[in-house]
This record gives sequence, structure tokens and C-alpha cells, in this order.
Amino acid sequence: MESFEPVIVAFCCHYCAYTAADMAGSQRLPYPSNVKIVRVPCSGKVDALHILKAFEKGADGVYVAGCLEGDCHFKNGNDKAARRVDYVKRYLEEIGIESERLMMVRMSAGMGARFAQVATEMTEKIRRLGPSPIKAAAA
Amino acid sequence: MITAERKPLEEIIDYVKPFKRILLLGCNECVTVCAAGGRKEVGLLASGLQMAMLKAGSSIEIREHTLERQCDPEYVEELVPMIDGADAILSMACGCGVQQLAMRFKDKPVFPAVNTKFMGGSQRQGVWDERCQGCGDCLLGITGGICPIARCAKQLMNGPCGGSCDGKCEIGEDVECAWHLIWERLKALGLQDRYLEIMPAKDWRPAGGAGPRKIIREDLAE
Amino acid sequence: MQNTNLSQTSNRVLIVGGGLAGIRAALDLAEAQKDVILVDTAENIGGLMTQLDRTFPTNNCDLCTLAPNLSESGRQEHITLMPMTTLREVTGEQGDFIVTLETAPRYINLERCTGCGECFQAFPECVRFTPGLDHRAPTCMRYPQATPQAFSIDLATCADIEALVKVCPAGAIVPDDIGSKGNVACGAIVLAPGASLFDPSGLDNLGYGELPDVVTSLEYERILSASGPTGGRLLRPSNGQPPKKVAWIQCIGSRGLQKGAAPYCSGACCMFALKEAIVTRERFQEDTETTIFYMDMRTFGKDYELYYQRAKNEFGVRFIHSRPHSILRPEGAENLHLSYTTDDSPVLINEDFDMVVLATGFRIGEEARQLAAVCGIELNDDHFPIHTGLNQVATSRPGIYVAGTFQAPKDIPETMVQASAAACLAGHDVSSPDREQEIPEPLPPERHLVGEEPRVGIFVCDCGENIGGVIDVEALVARVGALPHVTVAQAAGHGCSRESMEHIRATIEQQGINRVVIGGCSPRTHEAKFQDLLRRAGLNKYLLEFANIRDQATWVHSHQPEKATKKAEELIRMALGAVLNAQPLAEHRLPINKNVLVIGGGVSGMTAALELAEQGLKVYLVERNAQLGGLASRIHRTLEGDDVQGFVADLVARTSTHDNIDVITSAIIVDHGGMPGLFKTGMQVGKQLFYRQIEHGITILATGAMPHRPDLFLLGRHEDVKTQLETQQLLEERPELVRDWENVVMIQCVGSRTEDNPNCSRICCQTAVKNALRILEINPEARVFVLYRDMRTYAFQEEYYQQARAKGVIFVRYHQDRPPQVSEVGGKLEVVYQDIILGREVQVSTDCLCLSTGLIAEQDNTEELAMIFKLPRTHDGYFLEDHIKLRPVDLPVPGFFVAGTAHAPKTIAESLVQARAVAARAQTMLASDYISLGAATARVDSKLCAACLICVRACPFGVPFINADGYSEIDPARCHGCGVCASECPAKAIQLMQFEDDRILSKLEQLFEEVEG
Repeated sequence: MESFEPVIVAFCCHYCAYTAADMAGSQRLPYPSNVKIVRVPCSGKVDALHILKAFEKGADGVYVAGCLEGDCHFKNGNDKAARRVDYVKRYLEEIGIESERLMMVRMSAGMGARFAQVATEMTEKIRRLGPSPIKAAAA
Repeated sequence: MITAERKPLEEIIDYVKPFKRILLLGCNECVTVCAAGGRKEVGLLASGLQMAMLKAGSSIEIREHTLERQCDPEYVEELVPMIDGADAILSMACGCGVQQLAMRFKDKPVFPAVNTKFMGGSQRQGVWDERCQGCGDCLLGITGGICPIARCAKQLMNGPCGGSCDGKCEIGEDVECAWHLIWERLKALGLQDRYLEIMPAKDWRPAGGAGPRKIIREDLAE
Repeated sequence: MQNTNLSQTSNRVLIVGGGLAGIRAALDLAEAQKDVILVDTAENIGGLMTQLDRTFPTNNCDLCTLAPNLSESGRQEHITLMPMTTLREVTGEQGDFIVTLETAPRYINLERCTGCGECFQAFPECVRFTPGLDHRAPTCMRYPQATPQAFSIDLATCADIEALVKVCPAGAIVPDDIGSKGNVACGAIVLAPGASLFDPSGLDNLGYGELPDVVTSLEYERILSASGPTGGRLLRPSNGQPPKKVAWIQCIGSRGLQKGAAPYCSGACCMFALKEAIVTRERFQEDTETTIFYMDMRTFGKDYELYYQRAKNEFGVRFIHSRPHSILRPEGAENLHLSYTTDDSPVLINEDFDMVVLATGFRIGEEARQLAAVCGIELNDDHFPIHTGLNQVATSRPGIYVAGTFQAPKDIPETMVQASAAACLAGHDVSSPDREQEIPEPLPPERHLVGEEPRVGIFVCDCGENIGGVIDVEALVARVGALPHVTVAQAAGHGCSRESMEHIRATIEQQGINRVVIGGCSPRTHEAKFQDLLRRAGLNKYLLEFANIRDQATWVHSHQPEKATKKAEELIRMALGAVLNAQPLAEHRLPINKNVLVIGGGVSGMTAALELAEQGLKVYLVERNAQLGGLASRIHRTLEGDDVQGFVADLVARTSTHDNIDVITSAIIVDHGGMPGLFKTGMQVGKQLFYRQIEHGITILATGAMPHRPDLFLLGRHEDVKTQLETQQLLEERPELVRDWENVVMIQCVGSRTEDNPNCSRICCQTAVKNALRILEINPEARVFVLYRDMRTYAFQEEYYQQARAKGVIFVRYHQDRPPQVSEVGGKLEVVYQDIILGREVQVSTDCLCLSTGLIAEQDNTEELAMIFKLPRTHDGYFLEDHIKLRPVDLPVPGFFVAGTAHAPKTIAESLVQARAVAARAQTMLASDYISLGAATARVDSKLCAACLICVRACPFGVPFINADGYSEIDPARCHGCGVCASECPAKAIQLMQFEDDRILSKLEQLFEEVEG
């Protein structure tokens, strides 16, 4: 486990987190390369199935990044996403995957530094947790 | 509609553990509408099962398929080409669907992946309430459109009982007293007289007390 | 010389100068369906910005942000581009000018030249090249994305013309080119020739020209640039070694006290130096020391103060408040020697540097002065055009407008805003050409892909150093080229350049590519451009995926090139997976509502409303207060002496009586819905809160800012403590009180540039100078003290600052950590401050204490509007524009624009410029009769639908319904494309186009392919 490099999928809303990631880029704010972004038009578009499939394919961690409360471009897609993430967290526990491996985060388009911080913290957290039990079992 | 809820994963795993190839079947009727066994839930269960089995050290092959309706033999017939590839069938339909499958594919083990709950209606997104128990002798015409069989905890024919308080049932704050509702409704309709009529004890034979029920429409049946 | 008289309709605008301002103005006019002739004396358009490496405060690569604009302008059907062309004569008047244009011979047929470079290879001596630091081989195209994409020949240097002609494979070299001259009619003229930079070689004390390591800031920029002489490596010109210590000296040739200097402040140099210092620290590691010698740090733009703080605190740039007199290199020494004193001690400090950068300011060159003479416009003593009243873009000659650094020294965002404003005014002098038949750009028919195997083309940009400097693009291309279904994988250089785009288009056609992956920057900025490219190549534009390997890999993992490379490959594989599942989509159109909603009845709102109403558009002007006028109605005059009261009164009168303007006062916005081009906004009006809903196509926010009143220095506790705004009112309304004053103390940056409110309020320094001068006018005996941190009297305001000093106003600098102390002694105010030069405390008893409290955003109001309209704000509550440089008045939600102090603190004249810019930008959108809704909408597969109503209940906009056939139906014209229905549908019957499940899942599949293997 000396050099475990987790793979983390970040489903990012186009209007906030994806833009924040661009912001982190233009400000050259470094964060671990473990985080891979999948762009979605709204965090409410992230299907429970997408999250599950990410784990099934081998993700060690997943997070859904949506807009700040009340800031959703589509009214309340971010709140729906948050409820869905909670639902999937419970299912993950049933499956035998630590629910901490899944997280809902919120940020605004201007928060490049927060994007980098979230990516860093999530990577550190997953590093501590070690490889996903699914990946470990498959290996 | 018939409502259902997915069984705990652990129970499902126990069923399918001995098998290698599973045919996981959804139904595009009631269980889709109550978000328990449609195409999407099939996908979620397949993925969850795969992972749980993998974690337990075994692997499983799951084929996903959703029928228009599992309780009709013609739809079930669609499965014939794929049935040989499966060691067992896991159905996300209500009990009717599961049994239809068991009847058709006599040499295949069939397991339910959902608990069939009740006949109900949706209140709002994601919330369903019990409305009917299929007692075979509908009383709604005299109870103001509110069923004391499905909605009274004691299935009283003449209520409410002493457990009714401020319109709520004694079994729980969030359960409305059916008889309170019936009274309010009759009052609103100006039919209070009806309430005063004592209803005789319920004949449970049409409700299944006389054995499994069956409907035959002579004009249609061949 | 050929005579080339263009058609005599004056229905077009002439724009002189193909720099940023000229291009922006041309684009705005063209998008508003007006015809433009864009002339520039240079071989290619682009101006000064093309020589910059990156721009502040985002430190983006300029080429990358500018290139899409340039190519766009080359393409627009309304723009006639005339490089190497000089304006010789202007006759006639507003609406009806005749201009004489002379085009120098290029000796190259632009239509034939492909920019291949064969001529340059064979005859490098015959090419014209841009002077500068270019000590490598000269290049005849000024930068790789040049428009037009063609060379030019210097025939005089060519010994064998015949051989030169033969070397060109395209037969484009025309040695008998004699140039052309002709008359053109036009309705308005926009002058945007830009400014030159001060040449410090005349100053013997700085050693410029003799000491190779003394460079100007633009030359240093070229050294940093990937396309510059050192290929992006920071090397000393003298010995080719990386410098360890670099110093910047500010105000070279500006702020008037040294030999040959101009009296004004050049405005942009402080930020320019900050950027260069930050980039140096960032790109060339921590071991290069950076020091900026400054007089006042003038970081007065929106969020610029934060940039300054970052330079100081995060990047460790050293700031020394001093002005070294000379730069010496002692005999035999390698390094440059500077002597200076600091605030802390009178002792002379000697320090050596490896390089010294001179922050040279803007100058109006001879060419621009001649242009002004040809146009018959008046110039001020500094040779900048004199403007009329508060309208900075109008010259002394009606119908002739100015924009950019020719108007006054300024930075890029302000140049862009001014260019749009000039476009607005010039556009009013001409009407849209009434073409017999609009001839759309001929597009090839879309190829049908039915039955075709996927043939994917992957094009990976190097984006200069941005990508290519971190990862090996060629190696990456080789690896992704081996993936299944990939027909072509290529490095695309600057993929968004004209040349590369053309190459990609040709490749798509020749190789029968049917799906495209671009590995480069963000789809947020460049997707539309490449979609357009696909369409021109005969493909449906949705058969495209972006892998954002710049923002998500090379920019953020630059310290770990292997990881950046691996991630870039993964991102490209993900995009490949997705594009294999892409399907062609059709777009939807709806007729646009051309009404305009302007929120805020101050000078910005009224000006924007009037400009648009004059163009025949219906404008609803909504004001929260009972009267129009805003903050400006409390101001009497500007620093320059313009009568603000009269101006505002006139504006209010014209606004309230205009037929096309519906003024709604005492109104509060309460709800908002719809889409760009078809908005509905509800408001409560009057005391009865009567509800009214307005339908409109665009929204302009001009909600202003409010005077700050922090609880500092006894403000509100002592009657002699006043804000500058109150002082100004007192000076005009009760001048008799001022006659008795002996001492007046002004304190700057009260409640600005602090922890709670870190930004600079921009207007306070000039307001203090204005009020100080006015006090002395009323009472010449008064002693006025201005306690400041940095005097930020930018551009021509500097001359008033000098005037105030000459008249005896005492300016004293204070440190943020040692602010002045104010107390009340026997009813009178006592101010104690630390005098840095005297090195002791000074006590002043003052009759009036004027606090420069500046402006702050009105938190509650802007927060509420931001919530209702879903608009982002800066941390301090101002509305956040879409792109600080390229779209400074456009908000991120399409159809929304911002003007005036709702954007950031600014002067009245600057607010007016922005209001007109907004009017121009609004007209570009309203010129079209339709809005395109895109194709990213939800689609229901009726065969799968269970009619469960979950989508009907989930949709935030109530779009889906169960139709007569018994399944869910989603109107694509009303669908907003959020995808919530698709993710909640239990039957998986709904897919959001462009974000279909299989597209997302195949991204995941591709990502983990290698992880598993």
C-alpha cells in the first residue's frame, strides 16, 4: 500500500464546479491528478446508476459537485443531487463499500481555490481509506 | 397500483449465491411507477449485486431485462430465447410476476428481489400510501370513498375506536384515522345519516377467506 | 497606383486600427448587422496584445483568448479587412464621410497565399519582421495565428526577384504590386490606432540600449512568451543564463518628473509589472527573486488589489517604495547596480540585479498624431484626443469616435469596454445594410452517418507552452492514435488558430472523419468554435467531445509532468469513449422578444436605456427609488470640471419623455423566468406593491453601488467628520463655511483596502484631489493635508494631482499598520499621523476631516437580484462578468449585461462608457430575429415510458406532460436541459441529449480501462 494512487471521479456541474475547475486551472492552483472530471449540465443530472457504475468500474472515490444552496441554475437540481447522494451512500453500505467514499460538495463558479482544496482533501481521505474494496477484490 | 420495495441486499445475495448466471428481470408496470423494479432499479441492483458478490470473493454474471408486464404470459414468453443462459431468475416485479415466471419456467429457480407491499396511490414524488386490500366486496360507496379495511388499523366496520385522537390513529402520529376521515367526508357531503347506520360484520369470504380467488369473464374466456 | 473606389453607400463604419479595440468594435458592429471596414497599417491585425505572453489578473495565455476573436473577425461577412492601409483624407460629415484609403503594396496575393513559409525559408532577408527582442531568425508573420494568414515581402531587400517569385508554390508573389488608393463613403469613423510605448533609449541614466540586461516591460514579456525569442525560457540577453534577481522600475516616461517624461500616469504598468513578476515566480521557480520599485502601486481595477496582495503574500514579490535614479554596470561586472533609499532609513542601499525591467508607459506616436490631423480632431497637450463633456469616446468632430489606448492610457478590459461603446455610437450613425438577399455562408450539407463505422479524429493542442510545455504532445498523440476507432490523431499546435482550424477541417474531409475529439482547453470557452468547424467540415456539430487537458491537467499538475501526461491521456480516452456514443442532433429556434429591461435608473441605466431606445427598441427602465438619477444626482462636478447636476437633469428629462422608454419607479424585482431572448420578470410597484410582469429579451443590470460609511475615525459621531461625498456637497452648497477653515485633513482608503473590504474603491483619490483643489479655490489660505497609502490618480487625473501639489496641498503617505489617529479635543478634531519622511509624529488640528470612504456593493440588494437572476457575484458583492478581459460587460447568464458601479467602482464618465458598451453588446444579440435553443434537451423514448409522472413532478420548470398517447412528452423549445428528469426516470425512458447515459458510462469505462489492465 506504499504508493496507493486512488482514482476519483468528480461529476461536476457545468455552471459551478466545472467552471471552478477551469478557474483553478487559470490560477494554476495545483491539486492531485487523481481527480477526473465528468462534466454534467447540472448536478441533478447525476444518476444514482452513474455513481454506482463508477465504483463498479474501479473508482476509489466519487464526488458530485453542485452549486451552492439556492444557486442552482435549474432551481433545485443541486438539492435533488444531495438527496440522491445520501440514498446511494446507504446503498453503498449495503453493498459493503464505505459510504465516505462518496461525497456531495457545493461550490460556486468563482471558487477555484475551493475546487483545488476539495480535490486535495478528497484524495487524501481516499488515500487513507485505501483502495476500494471492489477494486481490491477484483485484483 | 401494486407497490413494492427492494429487499435488503443481503437477502437477495443469499438467494442468488449458489448460481453463476442470473437473469434479472424488471417490470415496466406498477413497480416502475413506484420506483422499485423498473429498468433503472434493475440497473442499480445489478451493479450493487456485482460489487457485493465480487467483494465476497465470487463472481456472478447478470443479464438485465425488463418486461412490459411480468404478470402476463405473452410478455413472459419473450424470455424464452434467454432463459437457457440463466441458472436462476431474479424478479423485481410484484409477487404476481414472480409466480408467473415460476409457472412458465418450471426448471428454473425464481427469486423475488422486492417485497410486494400493498395496493396504493402516490401522494407526491416518492411517497405512496396504502389504499386497497382487495377484499372483494367494496364498501367505498357507503364510506364516503375512504376504505376502512385498508386504512383503519383495526379494519373496523363501525368506527372510530377509542384510539382515535384529533383525527390521528393511536398507532402513529402520521397515520390518519380512517373513520375520522369518513365522518368528515360524509359530513361534507351532507350524508351524516349514513354514518348512523350500523354496518354488519364483514364477510371475509370474498376477501380470500374462502380460498384463492379467480375471475372468469365468460364472454372473453375461451 | 490602382484606383479602387468602393461602392458609394455610406452605410458602413470605418475602423482605423486592428488592435484589440478595433477588432472588438468591428465584431460588435458586425454582429449587430452593420458593415465595417477595418484598416490597419500593419501587415496583420492584432496590435499590441499579440505580443503579450499572458494577461493579468488571470495569467491566461493571450494568444489563446485573442485568437478566437481574431479569426472570428476574419470570417464575419460584414467586415472588410484592409491591412497595410493608411487613412489619408476625411471629408464630409457625420453620417456622410468620404475617406481616402491608401494600401501599400504587399507583393503577395492574399487570396493565393497559404502562409506556408517557403518564401521565408528561401529568402529570409526579404521579409518584413517586427522589431523587438527578436534576436533569432526574423519571422515575417508577427505571431503564429496572424490574420490575414499571409506573408508580406520587402521587395527592396530582394536581389533576385525572379527566384523569389518562383519559390512560391501558390504563385502568390506579385512583384509588380503597386498598391492601391481610393475613396470610400462611410457614416462614422472609429479611431483605435493604439498608443506607442515610451522609448527609454534617450535617457542616459538607465543604460537602455547599452546594457543588454536592461529591457522594457514589453521586451521582458517577449522573453517570457513561448513564441518569443527564447522560446519561453527566461534568459538574460547578455549571457543567456537564467537571471537570479530581476527588478522592475515603474513610471519610466510617465508621471512627469524626469527627463522626457509625460505628465500623465500610464495606468496599466503597475498591473503589467505585477503580472510579469508573478509569472516569473510561478514559471521560473522560486529561486528567481523579483523586486518592484514603485512610486504608488496603482492597482485600482476590479479585484486588482487582490492580485497585488497575492503577488506580495503568496508569490513573495518584493515591493520597494523608491525610485532608483540610475542603472549602472561597473567596469568588468556582469550585474546591474542600483542605489536607492527606503521608507525606513535615509541610508543609501546598493544592490545588484541580473536584469532590470523598465515599466515604460504609453505615448501617442507620430503616426497617430498624423491620423488625428487627417481626421481633423483636436488633441490635448499630451496628444490624446479631447473628448466632449463626459463622453470619453466622442471626439471634437461629430461622427468620429475613439477607443483604446489612443483615447487615454488604459488596460485591456477598459479597452474592450470602450471599443464596444464606440461601436454603439458609430452604429447609430449608420443603418443596417439592406441587402437584397442575405447570403449565408455556404455550408456543405451534413453528412449522413447511417451505417458508417466510427472514424474518430483526435486533435491535441499544445496551446504554446500551456500544454506543450508540460507534456510531450507528440508522444501523447502516438498513444491515443493506437486506440480503437481512431482514424487520425494529430498534434494541432494552437488548435484554435486559423491555420490549425483549417488544417483540422481539411483533415476531417479528406480522411472521412465522422467524430472529433479536441484535446485542449475548456469546452466552456472553445466548444462553440469547434462545433462551428465541424459543421463547416460537413459534420453535425454535436459529434464533438472536448478533453480539457489544459485546465484539468497541464495547468494544475505542471509540477508532475508524468502525472499530467497520464491524466491527459485518460481525459482524451474518456472523450473518445463519449464521442463514439455521440449522435447528430438538430437545434431549435424561437422568435426573440426585442424588448429590453434595464434595472437601475442612475446615469448608467438611463444612458443604456436611451441608446437602445434611440435604436427603436422598447425599453423598460425599472428603478427602486421614487426618482431617477441615482448617486450621480448628489455630485456637482467632476475632477475635470464637468457640470454633473445639469447632465443628470438632462438625462432624466430625456429618459422620462422618450417614447420608447417606459420608466417604472418605486419598483422591486420579485421573480424571473424564461430564457435568453424570452424572459419574464415580475416586480412589485409603488406603495401598494402592485404586481407587474414584463416580457423582454435581454436584461441590463445597472443597479449601482452605495457610498460606504464605515464606523471609523468618528464618522457619524462628530459633525466635522464627513465623507468626501458630503464634503463635495458642502463645498458647492455652503461655500461660505469653507472660507473660515484653516486646516482640512483628508484620509484615504477609509474602509477600503482593508481586511473586510480588500479592494480599492478607485474613485477616492481623484475625489480627494478634486475636493482639495475646490477648497483652495474657495479658500486659498486653507491648508489641506491628504493622508494616503498610494495615490491612485491614473491617466490624466495625475495632472490634477500634480496641480494640487503645486498649489500647496500636502500629501503624506501612511502605512496601513500605522494609520492616522483621530480624537476630539475640546470639541475640535485632532489628527495625529506618522510622517515617514520626517520620521516623526505630526499633530494637526482640523476644521474638517474628510474621509475617502469610497463605494461598496449593496449586499442585500445585489444578493437578492443575484438569487432571482441566478447571477454570480464577486466576494465583495459586485456582479461577476463572464470574462474579465474578453466579455467585460456580459454576465455569465446569456442575455444579461452589467453597466456602471454594479460591476465595480468607477467614475461617471467610465460608467457612461460601460453603459454604451452594454447597449452595443445588447444590440448584437437583438440584431437576430431568432434565438437558437441548442440541442441539449431531454428526449423521451415512448416505447419505454411507463407514464409514471416522475419526470412531470421532477422537472424544475414543469415542462414534461403525459400526452394524449399516454406517454411523457417534453417540448424541446421549453426544456432547459438540466437532465433531472433523465436521472430520475425509473424506466430509463428519458435521455438528455449530449449527456446520454451511454456517453457518460463510456467515459467511466474508458477511464478505468487502463487502471484495470
